[in-house]
Amino acid sequence: MHKQTTVRVLAGFAVAAGLAGCDPDDITKVNENPNNPTDAPAGAVFTNAAVAGIGRFLGWGYNGRGAGLVIQHLAQTQYPDEDQYRRLDANSTSGFFNTPYTAELEDLQKVADAGQEADRPAIYGPALALQALIFQYITDTFGDVPYSEALKGDAEDAVLLPKYDAQKDIYAGLLATLTTVSADLASPGTVTLGSADPIYGGDPASWQRFSNTLRARMALRLINVDAATAASELQKALTAPGGVLRSNADNAVMEWPGDGVFNNSWANNFQTRDDHRMSKTLMDIMLASNDPRVPVYAQPTVSDPTKYAGMPNGLTATVAATWFNTSSRPGAVFYPGATAYGNYGGGGASFPTQILTYAELQFIRAEAAQRGIAGLTAGQAKGFYDAAITASLNQWGITNAGAISAFLAHPNVAYKGGTDGLKQIAVQKWIALYTDGGTAWAEWRRTCQPSTIAPGPAAVVQYVPRRFFYSTTEISANSENVAAAVARQGPDNFATRVYWDTRPTAAPTCS
Amino acid sequence: MATRVTYVLASAVLLLAASTRAAHAQEPTRVQGLVTNDARVPLSGVSVGIASLGVGAFTGDDGRYSFTIPAGRATGPATLTARRIGFQPINASINLSAGTVTKDFILASSPTQLEGVVVTALGITREKSQLGTAMQQVDASELNRSRDQNIVNQLAGKVSGLTVTGSGTQGGSTKLTIRGANSILGNNNPLFVVDGAPVSNASRGGSPNGGTDFGSAINDINPDDVESISVLKGPNAAALYGSRASNGVIVITTKKGRATSGRVATEFSTSISWDAPSVLPDWQDQYGQGFGGEFEFVDGAGGGTNDGADESWGPKLDGRLIDQFTGPQQPWVANPDNVKDFFTGGRSSAANLAFRGGTDRANARLSLGAESIQGYIPNNKFQKITGMLSGTMQVNPKFSADATLQYMNNDARNRPGVGYNTGILEQFIWFGRQVDMGALKAKRFDENGNLYNWNYNYHNNPYWIQYENPENDERDRFIGVGSLRYSILPWLDATVRATSDLYRLNINQQFATGNLNYSDPSYSGAFNFTNDYRNETNLDFLVSANKQVTQKLDVSSTVGLNRRSEYFNTKTQSTAGISVPLIYNVSNAAITPTLNQQDTRRRVNSVFGSASGTWGGWVTLEGTIRNDISSTLPIGENSYVYPSGNLSFVLTEAIPALRSNALSFAKLRGSIARVGTDADPYQLRTTYAGNSNKFGKLPLFGLNNTIANANLKPEITTSNEVGLELGFFNGRASIDATYYTKSTRNQILNLTVSPASGFTSVAINAGEIQNKGWEVLLGGTPVRMANGFEWNSSLTWARNRGEVVELSGSLQTVNVGNAWNATVEARKGEPYGVIRGIAYDRDDNGRILTEEGFPVHGERKVLGNIQPDWTAGWSNTFTYKRFALSALLDIRQGGDIFSISSMFGQYAGVFEETLWGREVDWDNPGITFNGIDVETGQPNTTTVISEEYFHSLFQLHEPFIYDNSYVKLRELRVGYDLPASWAARLNSRAVNLALVGRNLFTKAKINHIDPEFSYQTGNFQGMEFAPLPNARSIGFNLRVTP
Repeated sequence: MHKQTTVRVLAGFAVAAGLAGCDPDDITKVNENPNNPTDAPAGAVFTNAAVAGIGRFLGWGYNGRGAGLVIQHLAQTQYPDEDQYRRLDANSTSGFFNTPYTAELEDLQKVADAGQEADRPAIYGPALALQALIFQYITDTFGDVPYSEALKGDAEDAVLLPKYDAQKDIYAGLLATLTTVSADLASPGTVTLGSADPIYGGDPASWQRFSNTLRARMALRLINVDAATAASELQKALTAPGGVLRSNADNAVMEWPGDGVFNNSWANNFQTRDDHRMSKTLMDIMLASNDPRVPVYAQPTVSDPTKYAGMPNGLTATVAATWFNTSSRPGAVFYPGATAYGNYGGGGASFPTQILTYAELQFIRAEAAQRGIAGLTAGQAKGFYDAAITASLNQWGITNAGAISAFLAHPNVAYKGGTDGLKQIAVQKWIALYTDGGTAWAEWRRTCQPSTIAPGPAAVVQYVPRRFFYSTTEISANSENVAAAVARQGPDNFATRVYWDTRPTAAPTCS
Repeated sequence: MATRVTYVLASAVLLLAASTRAAHAQEPTRVQGLVTNDARVPLSGVSVGIASLGVGAFTGDDGRYSFTIPAGRATGPATLTARRIGFQPINASINLSAGTVTKDFILASSPTQLEGVVVTALGITREKSQLGTAMQQVDASELNRSRDQNIVNQLAGKVSGLTVTGSGTQGGSTKLTIRGANSILGNNNPLFVVDGAPVSNASRGGSPNGGTDFGSAINDINPDDVESISVLKGPNAAALYGSRASNGVIVITTKKGRATSGRVATEFSTSISWDAPSVLPDWQDQYGQGFGGEFEFVDGAGGGTNDGADESWGPKLDGRLIDQFTGPQQPWVANPDNVKDFFTGGRSSAANLAFRGGTDRANARLSLGAESIQGYIPNNKFQKITGMLSGTMQVNPKFSADATLQYMNNDARNRPGVGYNTGILEQFIWFGRQVDMGALKAKRFDENGNLYNWNYNYHNNPYWIQYENPENDERDRFIGVGSLRYSILPWLDATVRATSDLYRLNINQQFATGNLNYSDPSYSGAFNFTNDYRNETNLDFLVSANKQVTQKLDVSSTVGLNRRSEYFNTKTQSTAGISVPLIYNVSNAAITPTLNQQDTRRRVNSVFGSASGTWGGWVTLEGTIRNDISSTLPIGENSYVYPSGNLSFVLTEAIPALRSNALSFAKLRGSIARVGTDADPYQLRTTYAGNSNKFGKLPLFGLNNTIANANLKPEITTSNEVGLELGFFNGRASIDATYYTKSTRNQILNLTVSPASGFTSVAINAGEIQNKGWEVLLGGTPVRMANGFEWNSSLTWARNRGEVVELSGSLQTVNVGNAWNATVEARKGEPYGVIRGIAYDRDDNGRILTEEGFPVHGERKVLGNIQPDWTAGWSNTFTYKRFALSALLDIRQGGDIFSISSMFGQYAGVFEETLWGREVDWDNPGITFNGIDVETGQPNTTTVISEEYFHSLFQLHEPFIYDNSYVKLRELRVGYDLPASWAARLNSRAVNLALVGRNLFTKAKINHIDPEFSYQTGNFQGMEFAPLPNARSIGFNLRVTP
């Protein structure tokens, strides 16, 4: 054999072996992700979070298959499983816990972190204010939830299994955050979210008013369990620098592109499903007072196009089906036009979502005035009450002054003062909060109004849920912390009351 | 790096090429002869050679071989060996001298597979008796006894320890597992290697929750081109393949050309079969659509009396006149065959034509195959076209080149959806039992051009789905292998090999106006396009030595380099709304299409080596070592080394006294192996994901939900096995048994964390799964009569016991998949794949509690386990003269299923068992559930309405967990060899005509469905919703063997 050749071949092999074997660093470049960046613009992350968070808690799923049924704005004529509370079991509602943390709350935290690092209040302010709004929905839905240790999964000292904070502490934390945000937004700097903010276009003053108004909402929520804190926080919120919402023009509103991809999710649901009708509870109250919002909130029944009617909640499938044509579908404004079962409405895909309204603020003021707290007096209550209803009517497109004054003068509506007045405020607020089932549900738990809300005949429990079950993911992955929360708060079921709901006797409207 | 390796490999080739010039022939010695089987029939493809000199040749079709040895290379005594896969090798001593030496051989077949030549790792052929690891080889004749669309389905029941689960859905994915699951969330599929090229078995599957099963890519391989399949069962046998071998390797060797002394040989086969669904649900046919015994159609969407109901709790089918979707006042009668009538007769036909030929210097095989399947679902078709060219050229005595190129085109039309929301059979589980299928078939549109259906609420007309929502997916694929081999010294070879597997898959799903699941009703339809490109390229450089060191000691060794590059690119374009009807094109999108693009690359560089020594022909010791450097792990952890060792000890050779008439062969083997596995790409850094859709004009970015880990380490699998192989009565009976233990630790998991952390999971190294089990292969010829009658039987049996030994810290469970609130989990202390769900609430005596007559829903519990207790296959072949009858039973014992079909089939009142307690008098309900009343503690006496009882079971999982045991008559074949004179007329050796059947009979514990189902090749198995049943097929095969 030709030794030289052999040697050359073997030498070549040895060189190749050496090369293949010696360079473990170089090869890691192959692993640089070409699809996704490790950092993203704060504005794009904020938009994503706002769309997700508002779409979730003010969109269809949480309302149409949760709070909107519980609070009896809506009812189900087909597959009434949620309306019977059957499919409000832990598995069905886990998404209202799991996804907000991993999507909008975490994204908003990243925006806030980046903004704070660069000392830009107009970046972190809106992020933290919106985060507070979402946190309130979560804690009002479940009670004690992770807060102080939440959203730290990728931190230096990572917390993968955060503890559950008492709701009392969460409220304190959220109120403190809103206070700081409002103060910091007084000198916002020049860098804002700009058009990346789909709610206020990055305007720092608007976010300041939003923060103060949200602080007022949160403060009043505590009135039964900690009247002193509620009153003082409410007063501070209403008088904080920058002010609160001044009119409907200041409402926090999300405009949906309605382009088929980003639709108002109510319209998305109605595109293919025809399961929902107006609740008898809501329609009876509105019809009894000749409420001009009826034709906006609801459509005439199929069986009698001159009539509007609600259907009872929580029926068996067989009975619920009989209401198919004899009760009203939700308003045409929510319907996209063409649906799988015919043509209804139009434009629902881009119907704007009202996040925080001037009407609600005026109801808050009316109640504070009636209670004589936050620097207001009972004599001011009627004025705020009428202003609140007027704002709501305007918001839903009723601007005819005659119609408005006729409604305000209706015997059921005309303000009575005293405890009756507080009840009227609660009922009218509940009507005004149509499409915001979460806030309406919390207000009902706090005020017991309207008193006609009761579980349907086929409901799986004989009371209206006061919270939802903890997430199945949490029970499996974070079991020790869930157990600690259950030990503190009470059994993980519909009956356990969240912190601010633990003293119903303190509410004058409950007796 | 890439360029450097390429340069080095190129240099190596040039060096090899240059060195060939130095080789020059002198006066030769010619060695020639004839090889036959024990019936004296010439055997082609037998390798005859002198190992110590590295020379040899294959026999041609006439059984003759010849090769030459340059004078001066060697003289004197030498050992000439003849070997062919499936036969026992024979050595003969010859004396080399100038001129011609003639030596004939008669090879005995090795039916028991204990001895003979088999293909092992890296395509190396070895004596089975020298292997210290478990493997089993299936040859073409056994493989293709009956033809299946998917080649791997033909392995079912034939290899001990290999679990094959066909998809049911024609053209769908087949799930394969060897020795249980190793990895909690990673890949548990074996690696496929075709002629030395690792090839993709990627699948795009569905799930019980919906989707479409586009099949698994190994389906592309044409069964008619396969010579043999070797299953290397564990890391032990496969350590040389690197990380992907931890789940075993399936080595496919294709048919090659042969020297045919100038004449071209023709190979032909064709088959046709008729297919029908093997199992359909048992329906009730006494009550029609509706609730509470009432129904009247107005608009089919809730406007009439329960006409929105997609359930069958309506009036008794007694012929009364009721307004129906077909018109007013129609007779209300049973249509018991309405579902059966939906299925059409399927038909599969296939043909393959191949030519092969060559000289002793060059040979080739060219094969063309076509397959056409008319699915048993209306308008569902599959077509496959394959072409293969392989050739070998002996450039000169020292230098040879091989190449194989395969092209496959796999085309499917209108695949039915699977699972919930999209599955075609869902249309019949939520159903009105009275529905006249003929009316739906006759009319898909009403007078106004709208969908015509029995219901306008939740479901589409099934014919409309199949005809108006065209689906087409097509995969074009090339697999190429090229190698150059240079004989440096008679005992030393160097090989450079390049392999590539690349395919493009286009999926084009179109949805007509009004399709409930996809299409925005405001627009004219929708589409979903997917385009995958996948490529794996391997470059190998191997040096192998094979030397007889002394009379008694043979040593062989291989060292090699491998560079593996994987690239995967996927793009999707979808929209829920188009402008102009029927134009499914991006330019016609009315709603801005959602676009997606993912590029994934991985590279692994490896150095590996193996060395083995055989002493006296009876003891073989082998060791392997491999070092992988992977792109997907962080610096410092991305280079990892793993070894293996095995020992084979042939007792009957070592101690000849052991050998008797009864015991003809005995071998002990043992092996220890370790294999490392890298991570999936891009797990080291947390990233943001963008969205092609803008919110108005605003871009969107969101942080991904998995916390990346910059410190990942490789997963490590260690495996030990011992085996015993015994042959009795001169090969009339044999046993091959293996016991193994296997453990995979440092698993790369996306560990579920509290979502409140802001993330769903974190990538970590944790957890350990252990598997241990037995594999037994029994073979024998119980009857062999002088008149030619012979009965051969073989039994494969395997059991695997797995346990999740450790997860991470206090973590108890990892979710592998879920449907309808039941989960498949890897749970600490349990076997891999337990099913957890809501159980009945029971008292202390285990009796079910009831409340107001309904069973009470209890706690979430482990209700079952998806893994079988054992699997077995029993194959019997009876031959008599020209006839052969063979049958294969495939048995699966144990394992559980969560049947969502049963859950909703009962909920909707369509399954037969829902007749229970259904009184015509709705005021006199009829089910008194056998339980203990939770209030009184006494037996329940409350009677409830059947409809409400079955509705009350929803979200209770325990009643719907079924034993997944089954026995299938997987294959049945009656073959007849036509007379040799007929064959001669076709210029061929044999012509065989056979009647074949697949899945002719299924016996299962579960009702209503085919117990064999799989929606994809991933780890989420054991839950079903309306799976399409595997086809029962009967047909003919014609095979012309050259």
